[in-house]
Formats: sequence, C-alpha cells, structure tokens
Amino acid sequence: MLDVAIVGCGKIADAHASQIQRIAGCRLVAACDREPLMARQLCDRFSIPGCFSDLGDLLDEVHPDVVHITTPPASHFAIAKLCLEHGCHVYVEKPFTLCVEEADALIGLAERKGLRITAGHDDQFSHAARRMRALVQTGYLGGAPVHMESWYCYDLTDPAYAKALLGDARHWVRGLPGGLMQNVISHGIARIAEFLTTDAPRVIAYGFVSPLLKRLGEREIVDELRVIISEDERTTAYFTFSSQMRPSIHQFRIYGPRNGLVLDQDHETLLTLRGARFKSYGDKFIPPLAMARQHVANFVTNAKTFLNRDFQMKSGMKYLIESFYRSIVEDRPAPIPYREILLTAQIMDDIFRQLGTAGAETPANLHVPVAS
Amino acid sequence: MNNAPIIRPDEQILVTGATGFIGARVVARLLEAGFRNVRCFTRRRGHRAAELELLARRHNARLDMFEGNLLSPQDCREAVSGAGVIYHLAAARGEKSIPDAFMNSVVTTRNLLDAAVAPRVAGNALRRFVHVSSFTVYAGARAANRVLDESSPLEARPELRGDAYSFAKIKQEALLSDYAQRHGLPLVIVRPGYVYGPGNEPIPGRVGLGTFGTFLHLGGSNALPLTYVDNCADGIVLAGLTPGIDGEAFNLVDDDLPSSRQFLSLYKRHVRRFRSIYLPHVVSYALCWMWEAYSSWSEGQLPPTFNRRMWQAYWGNRRYTNAKAKMRLEWRPRVSTTDALRRYFESCRQVQHA
Repeated sequence: MLDVAIVGCGKIADAHASQIQRIAGCRLVAACDREPLMARQLCDRFSIPGCFSDLGDLLDEVHPDVVHITTPPASHFAIAKLCLEHGCHVYVEKPFTLCVEEADALIGLAERKGLRITAGHDDQFSHAARRMRALVQTGYLGGAPVHMESWYCYDLTDPAYAKALLGDARHWVRGLPGGLMQNVISHGIARIAEFLTTDAPRVIAYGFVSPLLKRLGEREIVDELRVIISEDERTTAYFTFSSQMRPSIHQFRIYGPRNGLVLDQDHETLLTLRGARFKSYGDKFIPPLAMARQHVANFVTNAKTFLNRDFQMKSGMKYLIESFYRSIVEDRPAPIPYREILLTAQIMDDIFRQLGTAGAETPANLHVPVAS
Repeated sequence: MNNAPIIRPDEQILVTGATGFIGARVVARLLEAGFRNVRCFTRRRGHRAAELELLARRHNARLDMFEGNLLSPQDCREAVSGAGVIYHLAAARGEKSIPDAFMNSVVTTRNLLDAAVAPRVAGNALRRFVHVSSFTVYAGARAANRVLDESSPLEARPELRGDAYSFAKIKQEALLSDYAQRHGLPLVIVRPGYVYGPGNEPIPGRVGLGTFGTFLHLGGSNALPLTYVDNCADGIVLAGLTPGIDGEAFNLVDDDLPSSRQFLSLYKRHVRRFRSIYLPHVVSYALCWMWEAYSSWSEGQLPPTFNRRMWQAYWGNRRYTNAKAKMRLEWRPRVSTTDALRRYFESCRQVQHA
C-alpha cells in the first residue's frame, strides 16, 4: 500500500485527490497547504487524516511514499527537492519547473536517490492519446515523423480564470518567467517533445498580446503564440497557442512518410490519415466515407468507455498516476521518459527567452536562435 | 430607524465588494443616509466607482476607493484601520470549483476578520461586522411548504451539495460564528434571498435551468424568494446601524412574491419569448436523485452537480420569513414587488437589445 500526500490544496488538487481515491493499492494520508484553511477544506472533503500547513512537518510525521505537488509552479522545484531528499517519489503538476536547469537537477536527484519523478502531462494519457501512441509504435506513420502540429488554446473569456488573472495585478501567473504561457503550454509542447529524437531542436517563437486583452487594458500577458520547432532539417513542428481563435481546440497532428494521425483532445477522437490516394474520382468519394466510418468508430469507442465508467474528465490523470505508482512498486522506468520532460522544459525555455519582455509586440520578437 | 445608529455620520464605514451589484447600492444608501466617511474595498475600479464618487461629492462625503485584494492580509489591515462598521459583501461568485470559491470567500473573510479583531485588543473602533450571506446556507427542508426562519438549521454537509457557492457561503458563516465566539466580534449576519434588479439580469436558477438547451422550468408553484436590490441594500445598511442586534441573523426577502410559474410567465411576456418545459417536482427530484446516484456509481464520470440536497435547497417548496428583519431592523421593502419586477424586466429588455 502506497501512502500518498498532496502539497497544495487548490483547484487541481481536487482532481488529484479524486483520481488517487479511484486507484487500488494506495491511500491518501496527508495534505498540506501553506494556508491552513485550504488544507482543511481538502482534508474534510476527501477524508484525509493528516492535515498540515508545513511541509517539513508532514514529511517528518507521515513519511509518505509519494508526494503530489500541486502548488503554483514557482514553488515546484524547492518542494520537489525537499520531498526527494526525504525519500519520497514525486509527481509534479505541470509545468514541471520554471526552467530546464531546475528540471535537470530534480531528475538527477531522483536518479541518485533511486526514486521516481514525473510531470503532470496527463493529457498524453487520455484514451485517444494512448490509442495514438500505440499506432505510432506499430509503425503506422511509416517512419520517423516528418511534421507535427500541436494546437493548445485557452478561452480567456472563461470568467473563472479570466476574472482571477486579468483582474489581479498580483496574480502568481504574472510572476512566472513565461507568464501565462508557462502555466498552460506544457501539455501542447510535451506532445511534440515525445516524438522528437534529438536533444536540441531549433525553436523560433513569436508572441503578442491579443487585441481583446489590449482592449481590456492588459499589457503584460502574452496570449497568442506561434512556434516553429525543427531538428536536423528532418522533423519539424508547429505549435500554436491562442486565446482568441475559435473553436478553441486542443489538437495534435502527426505526419510520417506514409500516413498521418489526428488526435482531438476535446472530442477524444483519433483519426487516421491514409497517405496513399485513390484513383481518379475515387479520391473524391471514398475518403469522405472512410472518414465518416472513423467518426462512427470513435463515437462507439467513446460510448463504450463511458458505459464502462472510465470516461472521467481526468481519466488520463488516473492512468498516469496509476502507471507512475506501478513504476514505483515494480521498480520500472517512470511512465514519462525523463528525456521528454527535459526536452519540454528546454523548448519552453527557448520560447520564453525569445519572447523576451512579455507583451512587447515588435519585430524584434521574431528571433532566430543560433543553431546548436 | 427609531433608535439612533450605532455610529456617528463622520465615523468611517468599510464596505467590501463595494463596486459590486449589491455593494454599490449599499454605499449609495449610506451616502444618502448622511454618512460622510465611506471606504470602498474593491478589487479593481469598475464602472460603478465613478458613479459612487459623483454621488459622494453631491453629498459632501469622503469616499475612499481602496483598491486591494482580500487575499492580502496587508491590504486587509490597511482597509479596516479606523472602521467603525464593516459591511462584508465581497464573495466568490461564478467559481465552479470548490477550492476557488472557498479561497475567494472563506480565506478572504478570515483575512478580513484577523485584521478586524487584531486591533480590537488595543481599543479599535469596530462596533459592528455585517456579513452578507445567502439563503443557500439553510439545510434542505423535507416537509413541503416549510417556512424557514433565522433559527432553521444550516446545511451540515455542504460538500454533498455539489455547489461551490453554497459550500463557500456555509463555511464562511461557520468561520464568522467561530470568530464571534472566540474574539467577541460584534457580528450580524444578513441572509438575502435571490437579489435581483438592473445589473443582475439572468433568470434566477430557482425558476429553472437553461443548461440543456430547452429551458427546464423546475420551480413550479414555489414562491420565489426574491429581494429587490434596493430593498436588500436597505436591510444590509440597517443591520450595520441598528443597536442591540449583535449576534443576530436576518432573512431579507420581499413581500408579495410571485410563484416561479408566475415569474416565468411575466418574464416571457415582458422580456422575450422562449420555449420551456415544466418538470413537476416529483420528476425533477427523481432526476436529481438519479444524477446523484450515477455520479457516485461512476466515480464522478458525471460531476455531482445535481443531487437531492441541491434540489431541496433550490427547487423544494420552501418559504422564508422576513418577520424578524421587520421587527428588529424595522426594515420594510421600499420598492414593491410589482414595481421591482417592472424595473427588472425593463433592464432585461435593454440587455437583450444591447
């Protein structure tokens, strides 16, 4: 039985607690938040016995096997380091750390101590994402990816988030090196990082404050971002973050030398794109039918998953946590390769470096880095 | 008010949430009543701030627009300094997650309370802390047609209601009661019904839901516990000024209330036509029960948004009395429900056409 603790009792901690309680072979033994009231409300609602406002006390008294870190990103490094030093395996919510150096240091520490660590890139473990990964592994693409496109949108008209962020000049998101981007793009970047093979891809980034936010008086928060990523003139990727485009999508497209795949996170669908073409007018009539068949198949798959009670909004998180715990118990590698976590952090660092002063919308932002 | 107010007109009054829908009316009412030193705690200046400043100039009053965040203990300390009466209206609204609602209602309230009680030891001027709560804090009344007064039990298991707003308001009251007991906080709680008027145009959730495309009418013959915003502001102001009511709670709900069915019919006639389906109480209760059971069985595949406790709180046939407010605060709904509805529908029409 793994004893699990949660540090940071805000909104995302609810998702962690809910999913952890669905997993056999573990139990939530403690929660901690610097704000005692926040810790208490989580403990009360999820019947967690240990309620702490000091992480040192929690680690000394409870000795959890695993700690989930769900605090704001600026504190991830220090908290994860402390937990690793106390011999705990660590699950860190995204973004993993504020920079690649911190990520590298944590992974190094975990490896030296024989502990597991993972990043909360749970979107990569949704049902459709897992089907996509399985197809890629069977060679469906016909070779290494030629090109990828990752869209990760965020609707800033969502009152809950927008009110908190835009209405608060001291919101913690503003203090992150990459601002809003740092808090939200890692899911979309990690999708690309998973399929890159070199350790130092080129990154070209361009970002600006959208007209909508400017009208609201916002000058700091970059909410439109376009990125080109390439490695060795072989595999390329586009990443798009937008708060304005509609539909507000979360999609990933990956094209190989033979076939392609389209993953739609919002609809939990996976479409295969056949590279070979049909003859003459066959190419006008057969593919739409084949596509219709795929949509029906996705519907049936989703319906079955729903009926099997495994279609929770955070079922990807449950799968990732379960895999992470299994890697601890069975002494296997963590579900997300460390190289992928580091590459995600490095690409994000490159993006934020190029954005420079957040909010500046000048051609100087368009900056091609020196090839590594 | 027959009795003299507990503070002089030149003493400072703090209003949190002062530029909000109700807060701005409270500030206006205080200025109109001759209070000349009002501090408005607001997260950021909205369009109502300028209107209030204009009103203050007209009444020769000092209006201090204090921009801050109740999550900051420092801001709270600065804001409460010198306040004789605190009207606490700021609260989380619209947050769907319990932690967000809790932080923006309960943690913020704790910060304000810490600031309010700390200087009391040194003889601070605070003589009244008015907390604006809600009818959502009451436990579900099982008996039909039950009349809920201020002594009715509060919801003991708010986490089971699946409603972040209710959870936060209930925890907020518990925190306040604790501070009143432990620190002798001169607390008065005001529990308004659904506050409506220009500035808050949506159809009350107690009437029904538009979530599923077609409007589902759930209230039926229930009397809607409405309070017009100006009437509500009057009651809140009186709760801060009336002597001898420390430790009391007051329901604020207007007289001559329409039923949910009457309200919906009037809304359709005066604002816009739309299709609605009436779900009898037995059906809506059964659906809530089924939703609750499925949510539990499926381990949250559907969030527990609809459940029996929520049904009892919002769509059960319960009524609320305002007798205590009338007797102890000498409060009377200044705007009749007929006039209030006319103004509200007019405002709804304007919003529709905007």
